[in-house]
Amino acid sequence: MDDKLLLRLRVEDLLFKEADLLDSWRLDEWLALYTDDAYYHIPPSDVDGDTADPDTSLFYIVDDRIRMQERVIRLGKVGAHSEWPRSKVRHLVSNTLVERDGDVIRARSSFVVWRSKDITSDAFVGHYRHEIVERDGNLMIAGKTCVLDMEALRPHARISIIL
Amino acid sequence: MEGTPGIVDDRVAGRFLVPRRAFTNREIFEKEYAAIFDRCWLYLGHASELPEPGSFLTRTVARRPILFNRDKSGEFNALFNACPHRGALVCRERNGKSPAFMCMYHGWTFGADGHLMTLPGASGYPEGFKTDPQKQMVHVPRMERHGDFFFINFSKDGEDLATYLGEAGDYLNLVSEHSASGMQIVGGTQEYAIRGNWKLLTENSFDGYHAACTHSTYLEYLKNANGALGATPLEGIGIDLGQGHALVEYTAPWGRPIASWVPLWGEEGKVEIDKIYADLQTRVGPDRADRIAHKNRNMVIFPNLVVNDIMAITIRTFFPTAPDYMEVNAWALAPREESEWLRKYRLYNFTEFLGPGGFATPDDVEAIEKCQQGYAVGGDAQYNDISKGMLREDGASFDDEEQMRAFWREWERRLAAAEA
Repeated sequence: MDDKLLLRLRVEDLLFKEADLLDSWRLDEWLALYTDDAYYHIPPSDVDGDTADPDTSLFYIVDDRIRMQERVIRLGKVGAHSEWPRSKVRHLVSNTLVERDGDVIRARSSFVVWRSKDITSDAFVGHYRHEIVERDGNLMIAGKTCVLDMEALRPHARISIIL
Repeated sequence: MEGTPGIVDDRVAGRFLVPRRAFTNREIFEKEYAAIFDRCWLYLGHASELPEPGSFLTRTVARRPILFNRDKSGEFNALFNACPHRGALVCRERNGKSPAFMCMYHGWTFGADGHLMTLPGASGYPEGFKTDPQKQMVHVPRMERHGDFFFINFSKDGEDLATYLGEAGDYLNLVSEHSASGMQIVGGTQEYAIRGNWKLLTENSFDGYHAACTHSTYLEYLKNANGALGATPLEGIGIDLGQGHALVEYTAPWGRPIASWVPLWGEEGKVEIDKIYADLQTRVGPDRADRIAHKNRNMVIFPNLVVNDIMAITIRTFFPTAPDYMEVNAWALAPREESEWLRKYRLYNFTEFLGPGGFATPDDVEAIEKCQQGYAVGGDAQYNDISKGMLREDGASFDDEEQMRAFWREWERRLAAAEA
C-alpha cells in the first residue's frame, strides 16, 4: 500500500477513535490522545476560521492543554449544569485529507456533531484541522481547530460538549 | 391583557413578584416591541467597528435590518437596509468598505447617506423622480453617540440620548477610560441564540446571587488552575441608576487586564500591569483609577445593552424574535494600545468564562432555558420572586436583586405608559 494512503488510514483511525471517545463521554481517554502542549480552538463564524489567530480575535474556545484538562474535569461534575444530565452526542467525521509538513501531519476533515438533550437537538457543522505528531511510533494530536461552517451559533446557545 | 396579574411591588412588606406571563405571553411580547424596542435608545455599534471613511456593517436591531456606515468625509449614518424600490436588502454583506451600495434586484445605487445616485432605465421615470424623497433609502429616525458607543431610536420624538442614559452615561465612561487612546472592538463576534425570554438574560447578566450555585465549577476552576483565587472576596453593591438602568459593582477573585494582576500572568506581567495602573492614576486620578481597575461592574442599560467589565469587557445585546427565543450578539472591547501579551490574556480570560464555549455562560443558558420550560406549569404558579434584599437598610448587596427590580419597574412603567 502506498505510504500516503497508509498515513491517511492511520490518521482516520485516530480521528474515529477520538469521535468514539467523545460520543461515549470517555473524556479522560480523549485527553490522553493529545500531547502535553496541545491546543483546542473554535473560532467564531464572522472571521476566517482557517487563518484567524486567537491572540487577536475573540474565539468561542481557546484552550491550551491546561484548560483542556480543566474542561474535562468540569464536564465530570454535576455542577456543569449545561451537561447534566449529559447530552447524547454523535460525531460524524469524513472527507479526510492528510499531508506531511515537516514533522507535523496536517489533517483536514469534515464534521457534523449532533447534540441532543431534553427538548433540544442541534447539529454543529464544520471542518476539523488537526495537527498530528508521531510519538514512539504512535500518532498523537498536537492541536485541533474546529472551524464552524455556519453563519452563527443559532439556534445553538452553547458549545458545552467537546466538538 | 385583562385579568393579567401585574408586578407586585410592596416596599413595606418587602415583596416583589413578577408575573410569569411576562415571559410567555405573545401579546405582551408584541407590546414590548411597541412600548420598549420602538421607543427606547438601542445600542447599534461602536465607532471602532467603522475604522475609516467608507466602512460599513450590517446588523439587525430589534428585528430591523440596519446599514451602519461612514461616508467619504467620515460621517456616520444609520439607514434602514431596504431598497425604496421593491424593498430588497440593499447591502447583503456583513461588513466592508464601499462608497456606494447597489441593490442586486434592479441596480438602484445609493450613496453612503442613502441618496439615490443612479438607476438603470431612468428615462422610464418622470423628471425629478430620482430626487423624490420617497425614492431614497430611509435613515433611522434618530442616531446619537455617547463617546464611541452609537445608539439608535426608532421613534422620531422623545428624550435625547444623554437624558435617556442619565447616570448610566458616566458608567459607560468608566469603560472608555480603560484606555488613553480609545477602546476598540476586538475582531470576532460571538453570535448565538437562547431558547428563553430575553428578560431572563437581562436578569442573568447582572445577577450576583446565582454565581455560587450556577457557576460553582467556574469558581473551582479558578481555584484549581488559574492561581487567581487570592484574598479578594466576591462582595459589593447593587445600584439603581434610574430609568431602568442598573448595575452591580463588586470585587472578585479573578484577574482583570486593567491592573488586577493574578499569578498566572507571571512576574513580567506584573511589571506591565503596575505600569498601566500608574499611568491610569495619573490620567484619571487615584480614586477613579481604583474604581476602574479593581471594581467589576455588570451593567444593564435599559432594555438590553449589557456592559460587563469583569475578567474582560464584553458588550452584549440581544433581541427576541418570539417570547421564548432571543438572538444574542457579544463582542470583546479592549484598549487600542494594549500590548500583544496582554491582549492575549484578555481574550484567554474572556473565553474562560464568557460565551457559548466558556466555563460559565453555558450554565447560564441552561438556567435560562430551564426557567422558560418551568413557566409551562402555569396554574397557580404565577409569579417569580425578585425580592432579595428589598428590606435591607444599609443598601443593596451585589447579590441582592435591587438591580433587577430597577429594570422591572421601568419595564412596567413603559408598558403602562404605552397603554394610557
